[in-house]
Amino acid sequence: MQAVLSFEQAPPIAAPFRFFLTAPVFTGLAGLLLMVDGPESLSSRWTGGALALTHLLAVGFVLQVMLGALVQILPVVAGANLKRPLLVASLVHTLFVLGALLLVAGFLDIFPFAFPLAMTLLGTAVGFFLLAGLLSLRGVPSTSASISGFKLALASLAIVLLLGLLLAGSMAGYWAVPMLLVTQLHVNWGFAAWGLGLLSAVAYVVVPMFQLTPGYPVWFSRYFGSVLTVLVLLTSLLLLWAEPEWVAVFQVVVIWLSAAFCCLTLWLQARSKRAIPDVTQRLWRLAMICGLLACSLWMLVHLVPSLDDWPAWPILFGVLVLVGGFMSVIVGMLYKIIPFLVWLHLQNRGRGKVIAPNMKAVLGETKMKRHLQAHLATCALLIAAVFWPEMLSRPAGLALLVASGLLLANLCSAIGVYRRHARLVDERLAILAEGVEA
Amino acid sequence: MTDDHRRCDDVFAEVEQAVAKGDWVGASECFGHFSSGVLQHFATEESLLFPAFEQKTGMFMGPTQVMRGEHVQMRELISAAAEGLANKDADAYSGNAETLLIMMQQHNMKEENILYPMCDQHLAEDAEALLPQLQSELKAD
Repeated sequence: MQAVLSFEQAPPIAAPFRFFLTAPVFTGLAGLLLMVDGPESLSSRWTGGALALTHLLAVGFVLQVMLGALVQILPVVAGANLKRPLLVASLVHTLFVLGALLLVAGFLDIFPFAFPLAMTLLGTAVGFFLLAGLLSLRGVPSTSASISGFKLALASLAIVLLLGLLLAGSMAGYWAVPMLLVTQLHVNWGFAAWGLGLLSAVAYVVVPMFQLTPGYPVWFSRYFGSVLTVLVLLTSLLLLWAEPEWVAVFQVVVIWLSAAFCCLTLWLQARSKRAIPDVTQRLWRLAMICGLLACSLWMLVHLVPSLDDWPAWPILFGVLVLVGGFMSVIVGMLYKIIPFLVWLHLQNRGRGKVIAPNMKAVLGETKMKRHLQAHLATCALLIAAVFWPEMLSRPAGLALLVASGLLLANLCSAIGVYRRHARLVDERLAILAEGVEA
Repeated sequence: MTDDHRRCDDVFAEVEQAVAKGDWVGASECFGHFSSGVLQHFATEESLLFPAFEQKTGMFMGPTQVMRGEHVQMRELISAAAEGLANKDADAYSGNAETLLIMMQQHNMKEENILYPMCDQHLAEDAEALLPQLQSELKAD
């Protein structure tokens, strides 16, 4: 069935916002953990601290904002309306937040039943979201690269979730899986197929939209997502069949493809028609540069075998991809989506009789710039902390905590504008209605 | 119609460049061209494309009604941005222009991904009669 456009069916503002608001709390917790745990959690990717940090960032921030954004963007880009969006959003959000906290508690070994509880809550939350999302996309024709990208990314998320459940169950002692192998699969599907898959599907729309760049070449946007997913799938099958030479070949192609996406995006950005690059544009540029650095690091380690013995390289890779890459892009997106949604909902509420404050009046450039600086400092300190963990891991944690606090404060100030103006709108409309009656 | 959307974005970028250089006269002039182009596009859709779609499908309160509502909101933003330019108030202009830009882009996306394919599907038989009319209306400015 062809989806029908309607503002009434667009989700209420509270549906996506609840995800956005709790996400910086998780990065703040990651900062705190790094301050408490210090160099220990950066010594190897397999320490409980490193795993907890990774999941505070990847699940607590990246996945959480992505879910919130999908609640909003699916109806606009794909015309796919979620049924009862507020109910779906609050249910998924509550289970998700509790599940993510329990997962972290599991890695830190805080209490015995954390893993099984986390598996139940996170599994239900993400599983339910996937069901609602895929049901809403069912029957929506893939008329654009973004729509088919969304479908592929959601299917990949299902695989990431299943692999994660397998790993958590194994850690809780319910069953035994080859941890190294399944972790590799979980990371491949999480970073490449789901993460980059979704990011690219969104980028085709928002890079030209927000940054006034030329569009991505059609041949690229049409095939990138599916080629990426097929390559990840082939790599996974080869890993399972234990064909290490072929695995290496396909993984190199995935890395080259990811690097090509970063290069192409940087190239498009260099052709932006904007007079002055805004905060969003700078965050995207930072993300693409970090993505390229991560790809280069991966290539270097595989070209120079002695580097492979350096236990900290996967941590550096993770910092570049998660904090420098995904977090930067996501913050850049939040700084467009949130002011726009506040304006849109206020505008609809005012019914053309009360004018809504424009985006820059909702969230000023100065506030965003202050956070951008804190985020840049965090990235630099985290990267340096991988080399000098004793000296810099705690300052890096503090920087992450401060940056998260600034992000949260900015989001809250935008919501403050929404609340105050919504009250004003209701009062004015009531006065106007009384005037009509009188 | 999709090409026409792209042209709007180009003019928008030019205005932004002029404001950044402090060239208020050039910016106002350019914005004038931009807004008349956009308003012409709205008018064409509202007077030709939407009624044809509504007649053919019988959907009078459906997607076309939503698009008309969005046109009203964008007209308001256009006049607020023009006012900002007239007052040489860079913040007022850029805030409204930024909002207009995203509103316009997401509106275009809905039309291009959802409404135009529906039009192509339902109005295929009438295309021969409708297309020249649409083209001459769009060129009218």
